[in-house]
Amino acid sequence: MDSVWTQPFFYFFLPAFFTLAVYSFLFKDNPWFKFAEHVFAGLSAGYYAGLIFTSVIKQQMIVPLVSSGRWDMLIPGVLGCLLFMRFFPKVHWLTRIPLAFVIGTTAGIMFLQQLHGLILPQMKSTLLRLGDFSNIVIVVGVLTTLIYFYFSKPHTGALGGVAKVGIWFIMVAFGAHFGYTVMARVSLLIGRMQFLFVDWLHWAQ
Amino acid sequence: MKMPGDKPTSFVERIQTIDRRILYALIFISVIVPLFLPLKLPVPVTPETRDFFNAVEALPDSSIVMLPFDFWPSTMAETEPMAVVGLRHLFGKHCYVVGLSNVGMGGPTIADRLLDSIGGEFGRIYGIDYVNLGYKPDYRAVMLGMGTRISDIFPTDYRDTPIEDIPLMRRVPNYDSVAFIFIVADNVAVDYWVGLVNARFGKPMGAGVTAVMAPKNLSFVQAGQLIGLMGGMKGCAEYENLLERPARATRGMDSQSMIHLFIVVFIIMGNVGYYAGKRRAARS
Repeated sequence: MDSVWTQPFFYFFLPAFFTLAVYSFLFKDNPWFKFAEHVFAGLSAGYYAGLIFTSVIKQQMIVPLVSSGRWDMLIPGVLGCLLFMRFFPKVHWLTRIPLAFVIGTTAGIMFLQQLHGLILPQMKSTLLRLGDFSNIVIVVGVLTTLIYFYFSKPHTGALGGVAKVGIWFIMVAFGAHFGYTVMARVSLLIGRMQFLFVDWLHWAQ
Repeated sequence: MKMPGDKPTSFVERIQTIDRRILYALIFISVIVPLFLPLKLPVPVTPETRDFFNAVEALPDSSIVMLPFDFWPSTMAETEPMAVVGLRHLFGKHCYVVGLSNVGMGGPTIADRLLDSIGGEFGRIYGIDYVNLGYKPDYRAVMLGMGTRISDIFPTDYRDTPIEDIPLMRRVPNYDSVAFIFIVADNVAVDYWVGLVNARFGKPMGAGVTAVMAPKNLSFVQAGQLIGLMGGMKGCAEYENLLERPARATRGMDSQSMIHLFIVVFIIMGNVGYYAGKRRAARS
Protein backbone atom coordinates (compact mmCIF):
# COMPACT_ATOMS: atom_id res chain seq x y z
CA MET A 1 0.00 0.00 0.00
CA ASP A 2 1.13 3.54 -0.76
CA SER A 3 3.04 4.90 2.21
CA VAL A 4 1.85 8.44 1.38
CA TRP A 5 -1.62 7.29 2.39
CA THR A 6 -0.77 4.88 5.17
CA GLN A 7 1.74 7.09 7.01
CA PRO A 8 -0.59 10.02 7.76
CA PHE A 9 -3.46 7.65 8.49
CA PHE A 10 -1.70 5.36 10.95
CA TYR A 11 0.65 7.92 12.48
CA PHE A 12 -1.68 10.90 12.72
CA PHE A 13 -5.36 10.35 12.00
CA LEU A 14 -5.86 7.19 14.08
CA PRO A 15 -3.95 8.46 17.16
CA ALA A 16 -5.81 11.78 16.87
CA PHE A 17 -9.14 10.01 16.73
CA PHE A 18 -8.36 7.89 19.80
CA THR A 19 -6.94 10.87 21.72
CA LEU A 20 -10.18 12.81 21.15
CA ALA A 21 -12.27 9.73 21.97
CA VAL A 22 -10.51 9.31 25.32
CA TYR A 23 -10.66 13.02 26.19
CA SER A 24 -14.41 13.05 25.40
CA PHE A 25 -14.81 11.32 28.79
CA LEU A 26 -14.01 14.67 30.44
CA PHE A 27 -17.40 15.88 29.27
CA LYS A 28 -19.24 12.67 30.12
CA ASP A 29 -19.09 8.92 29.55
CA ASN A 30 -19.96 8.06 25.94
CA PRO A 31 -19.72 5.26 23.33
CA TRP A 32 -16.58 6.75 21.69
CA PHE A 33 -14.71 6.54 24.97
CA LYS A 34 -15.93 2.96 25.51
CA PHE A 35 -14.82 2.03 21.98
CA ALA A 36 -11.33 3.47 22.57
CA GLU A 37 -11.09 1.67 25.91
CA HIS A 38 -11.97 -1.71 24.39
CA VAL A 39 -9.67 -1.29 21.40
CA PHE A 40 -6.82 -0.44 23.79
CA ALA A 41 -7.45 -3.54 25.93
CA GLY A 42 -7.65 -5.84 22.90
CA LEU A 43 -4.62 -4.34 21.17
CA SER A 44 -2.49 -4.57 24.31
CA ALA A 45 -3.31 -8.26 24.76
CA GLY A 46 -2.57 -9.01 21.10
CA TYR A 47 0.68 -7.01 21.11
CA TYR A 48 1.90 -8.78 24.25
CA ALA A 49 1.03 -12.25 22.94
CA GLY A 50 2.92 -11.61 19.69
CA LEU A 51 5.89 -10.03 21.45
CA ILE A 52 6.29 -12.80 24.03
CA PHE A 53 5.96 -15.51 21.39
CA THR A 54 8.64 -13.90 19.22
CA SER A 55 11.06 -12.68 21.88
CA VAL A 56 10.87 -15.63 24.26
CA ILE A 57 9.42 -18.79 22.77
CA LYS A 58 10.85 -18.33 19.28
CA GLN A 59 14.13 -16.43 19.86
CA GLN A 60 15.17 -18.03 23.14
CA MET A 61 13.84 -21.57 22.82
CA ILE A 62 12.91 -22.72 19.31
CA VAL A 63 15.81 -21.07 17.42
CA PRO A 64 18.64 -22.27 19.75
CA LEU A 65 17.02 -25.71 19.90
CA VAL A 66 16.63 -26.13 16.16
CA SER A 67 19.67 -24.27 14.79
CA SER A 68 22.27 -24.99 17.50
CA GLY A 69 20.96 -28.22 18.99
CA ARG A 70 20.70 -26.63 22.45
CA TRP A 71 18.62 -29.39 24.06
CA ASP A 72 19.06 -27.77 27.50
CA MET A 73 16.56 -25.15 26.32
CA LEU A 74 13.89 -27.82 26.76
CA ILE A 75 14.26 -27.56 30.56
CA PRO A 76 12.86 -24.00 30.89
CA GLY A 77 10.35 -24.91 28.16
CA VAL A 78 9.04 -27.85 30.16
CA LEU A 79 9.04 -25.81 33.38
CA GLY A 80 6.99 -23.15 31.60
CA CYS A 81 4.50 -25.74 30.40
CA LEU A 82 4.15 -27.07 33.96
CA LEU A 83 2.69 -23.70 34.98
CA PHE A 84 -0.39 -24.55 32.90
CA MET A 85 -1.02 -27.69 34.98
CA ARG A 86 -3.10 -25.55 37.32
CA PHE A 87 -5.97 -26.05 34.85
CA PHE A 88 -5.89 -29.82 35.52
CA PRO A 89 -6.95 -30.54 39.14
CA LYS A 90 -5.36 -34.02 39.28
CA VAL A 91 -1.85 -32.75 38.50
CA HIS A 92 -2.12 -29.12 39.58
CA TRP A 93 0.62 -29.76 42.21
CA LEU A 94 3.14 -29.83 39.37
CA THR A 95 2.89 -26.00 39.14
CA ARG A 96 4.80 -25.84 42.43
CA ILE A 97 8.03 -26.92 40.70
CA PRO A 98 8.41 -23.92 38.35
CA LEU A 99 6.93 -21.60 41.01
CA ALA A 100 9.57 -22.74 43.53
CA PHE A 101 12.23 -21.95 40.96
CA VAL A 102 10.77 -18.48 40.25
CA ILE A 103 10.32 -17.63 43.94
CA GLY A 104 13.80 -18.84 44.87
CA THR A 105 15.65 -16.90 42.17
CA THR A 106 13.53 -13.76 42.66
CA ALA A 107 14.14 -13.79 46.42
CA GLY A 108 17.89 -14.17 45.88
CA ILE A 109 18.09 -11.35 43.34
CA MET A 110 15.85 -9.07 45.41
CA PHE A 111 17.98 -9.64 48.51
CA LEU A 112 21.11 -8.73 46.61
CA GLN A 113 19.51 -5.68 45.00
CA GLN A 114 17.83 -4.33 48.12
CA LEU A 115 20.69 -4.80 50.56
CA HIS A 116 23.80 -4.38 48.46
CA GLY A 117 22.33 -1.98 45.91
CA LEU A 118 19.95 0.19 47.89
CA ILE A 119 20.01 -0.01 51.69
CA LEU A 120 23.78 0.01 52.29
CA PRO A 121 24.67 2.76 49.76
CA GLN A 122 21.73 4.88 50.95
CA MET A 123 22.77 4.45 54.60
CA LYS A 124 26.34 5.32 53.70
CA SER A 125 25.21 8.50 51.97
CA THR A 126 23.56 9.75 55.19
CA LEU A 127 26.79 9.45 57.19
CA LEU A 128 27.75 13.04 56.50
CA ARG A 129 29.90 15.67 58.18
CA LEU A 130 27.58 18.19 59.79
CA GLY A 131 29.55 21.05 58.27
CA ASP A 132 26.92 22.59 56.03
CA PHE A 133 23.21 23.21 56.24
CA SER A 134 22.17 20.63 53.60
CA ASN A 135 23.98 17.83 55.44
CA ILE A 136 22.31 18.82 58.72
CA VAL A 137 18.87 18.74 57.02
CA ILE A 138 19.58 15.26 55.57
CA VAL A 139 20.80 13.78 58.86
CA VAL A 140 18.05 15.34 60.98
CA GLY A 141 15.43 14.36 58.39
CA VAL A 142 16.53 10.71 58.27
CA LEU A 143 16.78 10.34 62.07
CA THR A 144 13.49 12.07 62.95
CA THR A 145 11.60 10.21 60.21
CA LEU A 146 12.97 6.87 61.44
CA ILE A 147 11.94 7.79 64.98
CA TYR A 148 8.41 8.60 63.74
CA PHE A 149 8.20 4.98 62.52
CA TYR A 150 9.39 3.60 65.87
CA PHE A 151 6.16 2.28 67.40
CA SER A 152 7.43 0.30 70.40
CA LYS A 153 7.10 3.30 72.71
CA PRO A 154 4.27 5.86 72.88
CA HIS A 155 5.07 9.11 71.04
CA THR A 156 5.02 11.31 74.15
CA GLY A 157 7.55 13.67 75.72
CA ALA A 158 10.88 14.11 73.95
CA LEU A 159 10.20 11.13 71.66
CA GLY A 160 6.86 12.70 70.66
CA GLY A 161 8.58 16.02 69.88
CA VAL A 162 11.19 14.35 67.70
CA ALA A 163 8.50 12.26 65.96
CA LYS A 164 6.59 15.50 65.25
CA VAL A 165 9.67 16.91 63.49
CA GLY A 166 9.73 13.64 61.51
CA ILE A 167 6.10 14.22 60.46
CA TRP A 168 7.08 17.65 59.14
CA PHE A 169 9.81 16.10 57.01
CA ILE A 170 7.36 13.49 55.72
CA MET A 171 4.83 16.22 54.88
CA VAL A 172 7.45 18.21 52.95
CA ALA A 173 8.35 15.01 51.05
CA PHE A 174 4.65 14.42 50.24
CA GLY A 175 4.36 18.01 49.03
CA ALA A 176 7.38 17.61 46.75
CA HIS A 177 6.00 14.33 45.40
CA PHE A 178 2.60 15.90 44.79
CA GLY A 179 4.12 18.89 42.99
CA TYR A 180 6.17 16.61 40.75
CA THR A 181 3.09 14.42 40.12
CA VAL A 182 1.10 17.45 38.97
CA MET A 183 3.99 18.36 36.66
CA ALA A 184 4.03 14.81 35.24
CA ARG A 185 0.29 14.72 34.56
CA VAL A 186 0.35 18.18 32.99
CA SER A 187 3.23 17.04 30.77
CA LEU A 188 1.06 14.22 29.42
CA LEU A 189 -1.66 16.71 28.49
CA ILE A 190 0.91 19.01 26.86
CA GLY A 191 2.26 16.04 24.89
CA ARG A 192 -1.18 15.21 23.52
CA MET A 193 -1.89 18.83 22.65
CA GLN A 194 1.48 19.11 20.88
CA PHE A 195 0.54 16.01 18.93
CA LEU A 196 -2.90 17.37 17.95
CA PHE A 197 -1.97 20.98 17.13
CA VAL A 198 1.64 20.62 15.96
CA ASP A 199 2.05 17.15 14.46
CA TRP A 200 -1.45 16.51 13.16
CA LEU A 201 -3.06 19.83 12.30
CA HIS A 202 0.16 21.86 11.85
CA TRP A 203 -1.58 24.85 13.42
CA ALA A 204 1.21 25.62 15.89
CA GLN A 205 5.03 25.37 16.01
CA MET B 1 -30.89 28.42 56.04
CA LYS B 2 -29.39 27.16 52.76
CA MET B 3 -30.55 23.79 51.47
CA PRO B 4 -28.64 21.44 49.17
CA GLY B 5 -29.47 22.32 45.57
CA ASP B 6 -29.97 26.02 46.30
CA LYS B 7 -28.15 28.29 43.87
CA PRO B 8 -24.91 29.79 45.28
CA THR B 9 -25.28 33.49 45.95
CA SER B 10 -21.93 34.79 47.23
CA PHE B 11 -18.53 34.74 45.49
CA VAL B 12 -17.21 32.33 48.13
CA GLU B 13 -19.99 29.83 47.45
CA ARG B 14 -19.63 30.21 43.71
CA ILE B 15 -15.92 29.36 43.62
CA GLN B 16 -16.55 26.28 45.75
CA THR B 17 -19.27 24.94 43.45
CA ILE B 18 -17.62 25.73 40.13
CA ASP B 19 -18.34 23.15 37.39
CA ARG B 20 -15.29 20.94 36.83
CA ARG B 21 -15.78 21.26 33.06
CA ILE B 22 -15.03 24.98 33.32
CA LEU B 23 -11.75 24.10 35.01
CA TYR B 24 -10.96 21.59 32.24
CA ALA B 25 -11.66 24.28 29.63
CA LEU B 26 -9.39 26.77 31.41
CA ILE B 27 -6.59 24.19 31.63
CA PHE B 28 -7.05 23.41 27.94
CA ILE B 29 -6.72 27.12 27.10
CA SER B 30 -3.62 27.42 29.34
CA VAL B 31 -1.97 24.59 27.41
CA ILE B 32 -2.76 25.62 23.85
CA VAL B 33 -2.24 29.40 24.06
CA PRO B 34 1.55 29.07 24.58
CA LEU B 35 1.68 26.61 21.67
CA PHE B 36 0.42 29.38 19.36
CA LEU B 37 2.10 32.30 21.15
CA PRO B 38 5.39 31.04 22.66
CA LEU B 39 6.38 32.99 25.76
CA LYS B 40 10.01 31.77 25.66
CA LEU B 41 10.26 31.72 29.45
CA PRO B 42 13.76 30.95 30.76
CA VAL B 43 14.56 27.37 31.86
CA PRO B 44 17.27 27.54 34.55
CA VAL B 45 19.49 24.44 34.65
CA THR B 46 19.56 22.35 37.84
CA PRO B 47 22.84 20.77 39.06
CA GLU B 48 21.51 17.21 38.53
CA THR B 49 20.85 17.79 34.82
CA ARG B 50 24.15 19.64 34.38
CA ASP B 51 26.02 16.72 35.99
CA PHE B 52 24.25 14.27 33.67
CA PHE B 53 25.09 16.37 30.60
CA ASN B 54 28.70 16.81 31.70
CA ALA B 55 29.11 13.05 32.28
CA VAL B 56 27.98 12.29 28.72
CA GLU B 57 30.04 15.18 27.36
CA ALA B 58 33.12 13.81 29.14
CA LEU B 59 32.83 10.38 27.46
CA PRO B 60 35.61 9.77 24.94
CA ASP B 61 34.36 9.92 21.33
CA SER B 62 33.38 6.52 19.92
CA SER B 63 32.47 5.14 23.36
CA ILE B 64 29.87 2.41 23.55
CA VAL B 65 26.78 3.54 25.45
CA MET B 66 23.82 1.43 26.46
CA LEU B 67 20.44 3.18 26.22
CA PRO B 68 17.51 1.29 27.77
CA PHE B 69 14.15 2.58 26.52
CA ASP B 70 12.36 1.51 29.71
CA PHE B 71 9.14 3.45 29.23
CA TRP B 72 5.55 2.80 28.26
CA PRO B 73 3.83 4.65 25.41
CA SER B 74 1.58 6.34 27.99
CA THR B 75 4.47 8.50 29.27
CA MET B 76 6.01 9.28 25.88
CA ALA B 77 5.24 12.99 26.29
CA GLU B 78 7.91 13.11 28.97
CA THR B 79 10.25 10.27 28.07
CA GLU B 80 10.45 10.37 24.28
CA PRO B 81 12.07 13.85 24.21
CA MET B 82 14.61 12.52 26.76
CA ALA B 83 15.52 9.59 24.53
CA VAL B 84 15.69 11.94 21.52
CA VAL B 85 17.99 14.47 23.22
CA GLY B 86 20.15 11.63 24.59
CA LEU B 87 20.52 10.03 21.16
CA ARG B 88 21.34 13.39 19.56
CA HIS B 89 24.03 13.98 22.17
CA LEU B 90 25.50 10.49 21.80
CA PHE B 91 25.39 10.30 18.00
CA GLY B 92 26.79 13.84 17.88
CA LYS B 93 29.80 12.55 19.85
CA HIS B 94 30.15 9.56 17.48
CA CYS B 95 29.22 7.17 20.30
CA TYR B 96 27.92 3.70 19.49
CA VAL B 97 24.49 3.02 20.96
CA VAL B 98 23.16 -0.31 22.19
CA GLY B 99 19.40 0.08 22.63
CA LEU B 100 17.09 -2.30 24.45
CA SER B 101 13.84 -2.19 26.36
CA ASN B 102 12.68 -3.74 29.61
CA VAL B 103 9.10 -2.67 28.89
CA GLY B 104 7.25 -5.06 26.63
CA MET B 105 4.27 -2.90 25.77
CA GLY B 106 5.56 -0.68 22.96
CA GLY B 107 9.09 -0.32 24.34
CA PRO B 108 11.07 -2.13 21.60
CA THR B 109 8.95 -0.58 18.84
CA ILE B 110 9.55 2.93 20.17
CA ALA B 111 13.26 2.13 20.51
CA ASP B 112 13.42 0.98 16.89
CA ARG B 113 11.63 4.09 15.59
CA LEU B 114 13.75 6.56 17.57
CA LEU B 115 17.07 4.85 16.86
CA ASP B 116 16.34 4.80 13.14
CA SER B 117 15.06 8.36 12.96
CA ILE B 118 17.77 10.03 15.10
CA GLY B 119 20.46 7.70 13.72
CA GLY B 120 19.31 8.78 10.24
CA GLU B 121 19.75 12.46 11.17
CA PHE B 122 23.44 11.76 11.82
CA GLY B 123 23.96 9.28 8.98
CA ARG B 124 24.49 6.35 11.33
CA ILE B 125 24.04 2.77 10.13
CA TYR B 126 22.10 0.02 11.89
CA GLY B 127 24.31 -2.80 13.13
CA ILE B 128 27.51 -0.76 12.84
CA ASP B 129 26.76 2.41 14.82
CA TYR B 130 23.68 1.35 16.74
CA VAL B 131 21.55 -1.68 17.45
CA ASN B 132 18.18 -2.47 19.01
CA LEU B 133 18.34 -5.64 21.09
CA GLY B 134 14.59 -5.55 21.71
CA TYR B 135 12.76 -6.87 24.74
CA LYS B 136 13.10 -9.84 27.06
CA PRO B 137 10.85 -10.36 30.08
CA ASP B 138 12.03 -10.19 33.72
CA TYR B 139 14.38 -7.23 33.75
CA ARG B 140 16.22 -8.48 36.84
CA ALA B 141 17.40 -11.57 34.99
CA VAL B 142 18.12 -9.50 31.85
CA MET B 143 20.26 -6.95 33.73
CA LEU B 144 22.25 -9.56 35.64
CA GLY B 145 22.61 -11.89 32.65
CA MET B 146 24.05 -9.16 30.41
CA GLY B 147 26.90 -8.83 32.90
CA THR B 148 28.07 -12.32 31.94
CA ARG B 149 27.20 -12.56 28.25
CA ILE B 150 24.73 -10.43 26.32
CA SER B 151 24.26 -13.11 23.65
CA ASP B 152 22.83 -15.49 26.29
CA ILE B 153 20.01 -13.04 26.97
CA PHE B 154 19.63 -11.64 23.45
CA PRO B 155 20.57 -14.41 20.97
CA THR B 156 19.10 -12.19 18.25
CA ASP B 157 18.32 -8.48 17.98
CA TYR B 158 14.80 -7.04 17.64
CA ARG B 159 14.91 -7.65 13.86
CA ASP B 160 15.75 -11.34 14.36
CA THR B 161 19.37 -11.00 13.20
CA PRO B 162 21.65 -13.38 15.14
CA ILE B 163 23.74 -11.33 17.55
CA GLU B 164 27.04 -12.75 16.22
CA ASP B 165 26.19 -11.37 12.75
CA ILE B 166 25.94 -7.78 14.06
CA PRO B 167 29.33 -5.99 13.79
CA LEU B 168 28.67 -3.67 16.76
CA MET B 169 27.67 -6.52 19.07
CA ARG B 170 30.90 -8.44 18.34
CA ARG B 171 32.60 -5.64 20.30
CA VAL B 172 30.11 -5.78 23.19
CA PRO B 173 30.17 -9.21 24.85
CA ASN B 174 29.02 -7.82 28.22
CA TYR B 175 29.07 -4.64 30.35
CA ASP B 176 32.88 -4.49 30.28
CA SER B 177 32.81 -2.72 26.90
CA VAL B 178 30.02 -0.32 27.89
CA ALA B 179 31.30 3.10 28.99
CA PHE B 180 28.02 4.55 30.24
CA ILE B 181 24.37 3.61 30.68
CA PHE B 182 21.89 6.34 29.66
CA ILE B 183 18.61 5.17 31.23
CA VAL B 184 15.27 6.59 30.09
CA ALA B 185 12.54 5.14 32.29
CA ASP B 186 9.10 5.68 33.72
CA ASN B 187 9.08 2.81 36.21
CA VAL B 188 10.94 0.90 38.89
CA ALA B 189 13.51 -0.42 36.36
CA VAL B 190 15.82 2.43 37.47
CA ASP B 191 16.02 0.85 40.95
CA TYR B 192 17.34 -2.34 39.36
CA TRP B 193 19.80 -0.62 37.04
CA VAL B 194 21.15 1.12 40.13
CA GLY B 195 20.78 -1.74 42.61
CA LEU B 196 22.06 -4.52 40.35
CA VAL B 197 24.16 -3.11 37.51
CA ASN B 198 25.73 -0.10 39.22
CA ALA B 199 26.24 -1.89 42.54
CA ARG B 200 27.58 -5.14 41.11
CA PHE B 201 29.33 -4.13 37.88
CA GLY B 202 30.20 -0.54 38.84
CA LYS B 203 28.88 0.90 35.59
CA PRO B 204 28.44 4.69 35.62
CA MET B 205 24.91 5.71 34.74
CA GLY B 206 22.50 8.64 34.53
CA ALA B 207 18.73 8.55 34.23
CA GLY B 208 15.99 10.51 32.54
CA VAL B 209 12.81 9.78 34.45
CA THR B 210 9.23 11.02 34.59
CA ALA B 211 8.53 13.85 37.03
CA VAL B 212 6.59 11.46 39.31
CA MET B 213 9.77 9.44 39.82
CA ALA B 214 12.18 12.34 40.14
CA PRO B 215 12.03 12.96 43.93
CA LYS B 216 12.76 9.31 44.70
CA ASN B 217 15.60 9.08 42.20
CA LEU B 218 17.24 12.24 43.54
CA SER B 219 18.33 10.11 46.49
CA PHE B 220 20.38 7.96 44.06
CA VAL B 221 22.09 11.10 42.80
CA GLN B 222 22.81 12.25 46.35
CA ALA B 223 24.29 8.81 47.13
CA GLY B 224 26.44 8.92 43.97
CA GLN B 225 24.72 5.87 42.47
CA LEU B 226 23.47 7.96 39.55
CA ILE B 227 25.79 10.58 38.10
CA GLY B 228 22.92 12.86 37.11
CA LEU B 229 19.19 13.02 36.58
CA MET B 230 16.73 14.52 34.11
CA GLY B 231 13.47 14.95 36.02
CA GLY B 232 10.40 15.16 33.80
CA MET B 233 9.77 17.64 31.00
CA LYS B 234 11.62 20.36 32.93
CA GLY B 235 14.79 18.25 33.21
CA CYS B 236 14.61 17.37 29.53
CA ALA B 237 14.17 21.04 28.56
CA GLU B 238 17.29 21.83 30.61
CA TYR B 239 19.27 19.11 28.78
CA GLU B 240 18.02 20.35 25.39
CA ASN B 241 19.23 23.84 26.26
CA LEU B 242 22.61 22.56 27.45
CA LEU B 243 22.96 20.74 24.12
CA GLU B 244 21.84 23.97 22.40
CA ARG B 245 19.13 22.06 20.54
CA PRO B 246 15.82 23.28 22.01
CA ALA B 247 13.09 20.87 20.96
CA ARG B 248 9.80 19.49 22.18
CA ALA B 249 10.39 19.70 25.94
CA THR B 250 11.59 23.30 25.74
CA ARG B 251 8.49 24.25 23.72
CA GLY B 252 6.26 22.49 26.25
CA MET B 253 7.69 24.38 29.22
CA ASP B 254 5.68 27.55 28.43
CA SER B 255 2.43 25.57 28.74
CA GLN B 256 3.79 23.86 31.86
CA SER B 257 4.49 27.22 33.54
CA MET B 258 1.07 28.61 32.54
CA ILE B 259 -0.76 25.62 34.03
CA HIS B 260 1.29 25.71 37.22
CA LEU B 261 0.41 29.37 37.66
CA PHE B 262 -3.23 28.55 37.00
CA ILE B 263 -3.20 25.68 39.54
CA VAL B 264 -1.54 27.87 42.21
CA VAL B 265 -4.22 30.55 41.70
CA PHE B 266 -6.99 27.98 42.03
CA ILE B 267 -5.43 26.38 45.14
CA ILE B 268 -5.33 29.83 46.75
CA MET B 269 -8.92 30.56 45.68
CA GLY B 270 -10.10 27.16 46.94
CA ASN B 271 -8.44 27.70 50.31
CA VAL B 272 -9.80 31.24 50.63
CA GLY B 273 -13.27 29.90 49.83
CA TYR B 274 -12.90 27.04 52.31
CA TYR B 275 -11.77 29.24 55.21
CA ALA B 276 -14.26 32.00 54.42
CA GLY B 277 -17.07 29.42 54.35
CA LYS B 278 -15.89 27.93 57.65
CA ARG B 279 -15.76 31.38 59.25
CA ARG B 280 -19.24 32.22 58.01
CA ALA B 281 -20.62 28.89 59.33
CA ALA B 282 -19.01 29.55 62.74
CA ARG B 283 -20.57 33.05 62.86
CA SER B 284 -24.04 31.82 61.95
